[in-house]
Amino acid sequence: MRLGIHFLAVTLFITAAARAAESVDPGSLRLVEDYVSVPMPPGFHVEPTELEGPVFADSAGRTLYTWPSHKLRNGYSGETQGNPACYDEVRTETAGLMSPYPPGILLPELDKRPSCTDLWPPVLAADDAEKIGKWTIVDRKDGTRQWAYDEQPLYTSAKDKETGDTYGGTTRRYGGDSPANRVPIGPPARVPPGFAIKTTTMGRLLTTDKNFSVYVYDKDTSDTSMCDTECARTWLPVIAPAVARAVGEWSIIERSPGVRQWAFRQKPLYTHVLDARSWSLEGSDVEGWSNVYTQMAPPIPELFTVQQTLVGEVLADSDGMTVYTYVCGDDSVDQLSCDHPDDTQVYRNAMCGGGEAEKCLKMWPYVQAEKGMIGNSRAWNVIDIDPKTGHKASPEQSDALSVWAYRDRPVVIYGGDRKPGDVNGAGTGEWRGQRNGLEAFWLRDDYLGGTL
Amino acid sequence: MKNRLLAALMSIAVAISLTAKADGVGPGVPRDGAIGYVMTDLFWAVYQTPDAKTECPRGFNDGPREQFEILFPPGEKWSVVDTQLKQEIETWHPTDAPDSFPFYEVEGPLSYGLNLDGEIGPNDFTHPDGERGIDNEVYRAVGCVIGFRGPDGVEFIFQNKAIADRRYNRTMIELTGVDNLENDDNVTVSVYRGLDRLLTDATGMKVMSGGSQRVDMRWGASLIRQTQGKIVNSVLTTEPIGEVIIPWMNLGVPTFQLIRDMQLQLTLSPTGATGLVAGYADVDTWYKQLIRNDSTHHLSNGQISGISLYKALRRLADAYPDPETGANTAISTALDVKMTQVYIVHPDEQTRVSQNATR
Repeated sequence: MRLGIHFLAVTLFITAAARAAESVDPGSLRLVEDYVSVPMPPGFHVEPTELEGPVFADSAGRTLYTWPSHKLRNGYSGETQGNPACYDEVRTETAGLMSPYPPGILLPELDKRPSCTDLWPPVLAADDAEKIGKWTIVDRKDGTRQWAYDEQPLYTSAKDKETGDTYGGTTRRYGGDSPANRVPIGPPARVPPGFAIKTTTMGRLLTTDKNFSVYVYDKDTSDTSMCDTECARTWLPVIAPAVARAVGEWSIIERSPGVRQWAFRQKPLYTHVLDARSWSLEGSDVEGWSNVYTQMAPPIPELFTVQQTLVGEVLADSDGMTVYTYVCGDDSVDQLSCDHPDDTQVYRNAMCGGGEAEKCLKMWPYVQAEKGMIGNSRAWNVIDIDPKTGHKASPEQSDALSVWAYRDRPVVIYGGDRKPGDVNGAGTGEWRGQRNGLEAFWLRDDYLGGTL
Repeated sequence: MKNRLLAALMSIAVAISLTAKADGVGPGVPRDGAIGYVMTDLFWAVYQTPDAKTECPRGFNDGPREQFEILFPPGEKWSVVDTQLKQEIETWHPTDAPDSFPFYEVEGPLSYGLNLDGEIGPNDFTHPDGERGIDNEVYRAVGCVIGFRGPDGVEFIFQNKAIADRRYNRTMIELTGVDNLENDDNVTVSVYRGLDRLLTDATGMKVMSGGSQRVDMRWGASLIRQTQGKIVNSVLTTEPIGEVIIPWMNLGVPTFQLIRDMQLQLTLSPTGATGLVAGYADVDTWYKQLIRNDSTHHLSNGQISGISLYKALRRLADAYPDPETGANTAISTALDVKMTQVYIVHPDEQTRVSQNATR
């Protein structure tokens, strides 16, 4: 099945796009997510992004990130409110935050190891800068002043090269044993109380604030629900309180006298009574019903396919073999990432090839692209990799491999998968693949509890 | 209290409905000759004595934490590459090369399990009930690893919790053509995966009989198997099934066990089934299930050295030799299983239910 699920979602996206002109990015005709305008200091603005929705950006267009405190096995990493912890110091030893390995072990490639601020330059405030709204200024121990949002210090990422890049981090849900990740930060989404938005591989999924998916029905119109009383036993209308008012893309229909139902982009909203878990896509299996995305992720390149597994649907290469992404964060206090071609490849080589680059190429081969091919988005691009090192190749390198990358990180398949639908590599690596490991590229999971 | 009373009444009602005369046949006859059971408990079968002296006279095995301290003593300056990554490489790229640590296999004569090959060999165990020829080399490998021992081993606790919590693990069987639940010389046994959460009492801890489970015909279609069996004095024994995949999700990673020549031996009642799943586990799949579901941290909590255990599994593998190398690729095993009666809803019935629900 070649990207059936995606086309379904794109169809909905296009349908919705035709009715929500105010949220269309004029440059690409992509539907983008609406947000609440908040007061910002001079020089900052809101930038639409492909995967993360609207984010704050500095005057150069660089996405802003925070580093929230994250509980690890043996302590906390990240930053508490008002307390910057990322400085121009090269850490040399592990912090022992993840058992069973003790602290005080020398980190790899110390001669090349960056400091925290090499990778995460703090967003510094001018001497005369003043706080405004949720934007405040915190003092760094080196005497400089740093912008913060909601008291969380702000940084840019050395991995972001262009306006709208979000290669430094994601708001996608991650497990408790993942590194203390940096996350892009943006203005509040324009959703009424009772709703929320979740970043997934498919797009920004609209849910209730209890994380249950909301759905729309093909036969409904902007002011009429075709889901009658019997239907509404299975598809529960999302009721708008008496004080609720229409705003932006949100409107209210009156199902019956005194019973008001929320509508988004002119489609009444429902939850599915048979959804047993958060962020479910199961309701959209029923003909005429669809999940709702505030914006879709960029289309996946056409050569990829979708395969059915014991869990749900997974992205696969043109031969149907499951696609995996590599996830890595080190055990330093700084929790620096090690999953990008610019990072140290020591961890990746250990996991994919027992320390041997050749074995990596055999056990976890890259999904290769034809020479000269380019990606269709920031999310999906083609990069040249030096097969001997795993780093990006130099422009003149003749043996470079052109490979597909998601979020600027190569995607791979697994030599241990024998046939389409096998996901034998999922969870490979330290902490069940959550750090220094490999995770399958799920497009839909009906059993994992919404880890997309 | 009201819920408990209701649950008790439901249980009684189920028992009555299953044993009452139905469709003109006698007591102990399931309605329409069919009865379903859903798995609620699954453990690697480990025969334990109170002080473990019989089966593990040399004690229990070290785990990753203990091995790390011996290999890399505190006080010296070590690197991530030479320590942590070296151990992780050995875990994820295991070999059958000799172990640098002693490994204590089970030495006692007794084990749970079945006589899978129909022979009585020198390496076979004897069942506590006296039956000889028991094949269970997985027990020999894991019996002296505390993480596999009950009631508080890490594998013992987590796997069972996941069975109840995760629908991915919802293995169930259906017996059809049952003339009598106590004695029947030919019944059909089908293996399915269910789609639904388990019916529990008000505490959420005790699984109740009488629930319903829809058959997973979409993601779980490849898991469906069928075999024949017979019931003697309420004990079901099946013919081997060539290859069974048991979905096995623990701590959020979807894995599976691949069991060849799988047999069931279950004591049946109208409300449940208890007994053994036995067969030959594919060694590499067995090991990958363990280390994908449990990080080195979790393995450490059970003193489970993946590195040492893999070598033991390879050493003790006793079936399905590789045609090229001759090395055995599968290992005899048995799992303790508990199941609870459930009404299995087949696809055509699901359609009817759905149509009724949305009409």
